[in-house]
Amino acid sequence: MELTPSALDLNWSEVKEKIRRFIKDYVEKSGAKGIVLGLSGGIDSSTTAALSALALDGDKVLGLLLPEQETHNAKDIKHAKLVAEKFGLNTQIIDITPTLGAFYDSIPIFETADKLCKGNIKARTRMIYVYYYANRLNLLVCGSSDKSEAMMGYFTKWGDIGADISPIMDLFKTQVRKLAQHIGVPKEILTKPASPALWPGQLAEEELGIKYETLDLILYGLEHFMHPDEIAKQLGLKTESVDKIKRRWHYAEHKRRIPLTAKIEYRTVGKDFRLPRTFC
Amino acid sequence: MKEKLKVALAQISCKRGDKTENIRKIERNVEIATKEGADLVVFPELSLTGYLLRDQIYELAETIPGQSTDILENLAKKTGTHIVFGMPELSSKTQATVYNTAVLIGPNGLIGKYRKMYLPTHSVFEEKRYFRPGYQTAAFETELGKIGLIICYDIFFPEVTRLTRLKGAQLIVCISASPTTRKAFFETLTTARAIENTAFMAYVNLVGIEDGLQFWGGSRLIGPNGKILVKTRYDEEDLAIGEVNYSDIRPIETFVPTLKDLRPELFDMLKDCAENL
Repeated sequence: MELTPSALDLNWSEVKEKIRRFIKDYVEKSGAKGIVLGLSGGIDSSTTAALSALALDGDKVLGLLLPEQETHNAKDIKHAKLVAEKFGLNTQIIDITPTLGAFYDSIPIFETADKLCKGNIKARTRMIYVYYYANRLNLLVCGSSDKSEAMMGYFTKWGDIGADISPIMDLFKTQVRKLAQHIGVPKEILTKPASPALWPGQLAEEELGIKYETLDLILYGLEHFMHPDEIAKQLGLKTESVDKIKRRWHYAEHKRRIPLTAKIEYRTVGKDFRLPRTFC
Repeated sequence: MKEKLKVALAQISCKRGDKTENIRKIERNVEIATKEGADLVVFPELSLTGYLLRDQIYELAETIPGQSTDILENLAKKTGTHIVFGMPELSSKTQATVYNTAVLIGPNGLIGKYRKMYLPTHSVFEEKRYFRPGYQTAAFETELGKIGLIICYDIFFPEVTRLTRLKGAQLIVCISASPTTRKAFFETLTTARAIENTAFMAYVNLVGIEDGLQFWGGSRLIGPNGKILVKTRYDEEDLAIGEVNYSDIRPIETFVPTLKDLRPELFDMLKDCAENL
């Protein structure tokens, strides 16, 4: 198997159609009235919002813009609105700064210098807002995580990953960019550096320590059972670098599963209670 | 025996776990197909229940004959047609041993059944966890000619279709629940199996989405020379009718004499090698 960018090429019309059908089918079967999602102005949520609108019509899709003081960026708001306008979504903007402040103030052990713990509060707070709208308006929460993030565990447990469906989670970041281009997500969003916006200046590639173009090929190789030596050789990397990515992927498995329990009884939730999703 | 017959490819989506609703859909399709002159109406793999059932299989499986086959036998009787459909079959000798079975019924009742031999248990598939494999290929003498039955992943193993053909089947029905990621394989293999066995192949695939898994449809009736005689739409429910004319086999069998050229001694070698892979 050759690890060149073309390995990640897909028939984007087919991909779009598959995801469109997936969203439509799930929303219809669940009896929900539509979809709500957090709209950050980044490529993942913009693409997910656009696909949701293509599946259901924009008026059944609600994008929540949830800025907060520390990471507020006028450009992100502008981009989110641009997507909403282009694909006809409804939006609502809520400043979550006071809610976050109340959290920080009420936690006796809160430490503002601990960026990660503080940032996770932001991601989880956004999830709470999105789920409130879902419950109140009978909508489904649509997640925007991509495969690169999901494999690397580059998300907040029970935060941004929290959703009823995650339509683009089988596409690597570089694939999401191509799909976004194919479905007409505005150009300025396509080229913007990815950021989870948990603290000011946070950039995904900087934090992961690798460009998505390279990361995605490594992950693609691992997905296809390639040995790290072979991946490293093909990509001109050190085997240790690939091993590190592989370890991170494995280590993050706990973030992708429901909580582990001790096997005691006949059939156990999350283990051998194997039921298909059923709708009323 | 009829020299010519009309085969309807009834490409449906199923309501998972709802046999009543699926039987209704089977009835509707059989009635429409019969009005259009179909002699045989074929439905996808596990069309009685839907495909991704997981632990629900134990609640849904039925013996053959059983309640559902009784209903569909009456339908065949009423419409004077033959029907192939798929269902989880509960062994009549046990309480929780289930097969993935294709059932052939005709105007005079149950003709026969085939239990899937190759149960995919990789990627998104977990059939071996739930089903016991079958041990026999199946070809049944009917008034529509000798009809063979295979199921989905069996098609990756040419010996299943070969054995079915060597038992005399000239029309091989393959019922399937193939997801979109496998489309290219099935498009190639269905044609290959028809050509290498100089037989008609009626392939009927599921459509719809079950637990996020999308089934691509694309059912087809293929002639013994590999020509697609009729094909249904991709990804949507559809019903298409094509004609099988058994007299088409003769000129092809003389021109591509794969059956005449069979080398039985290779099968012994194949067996030896497969045992020592």
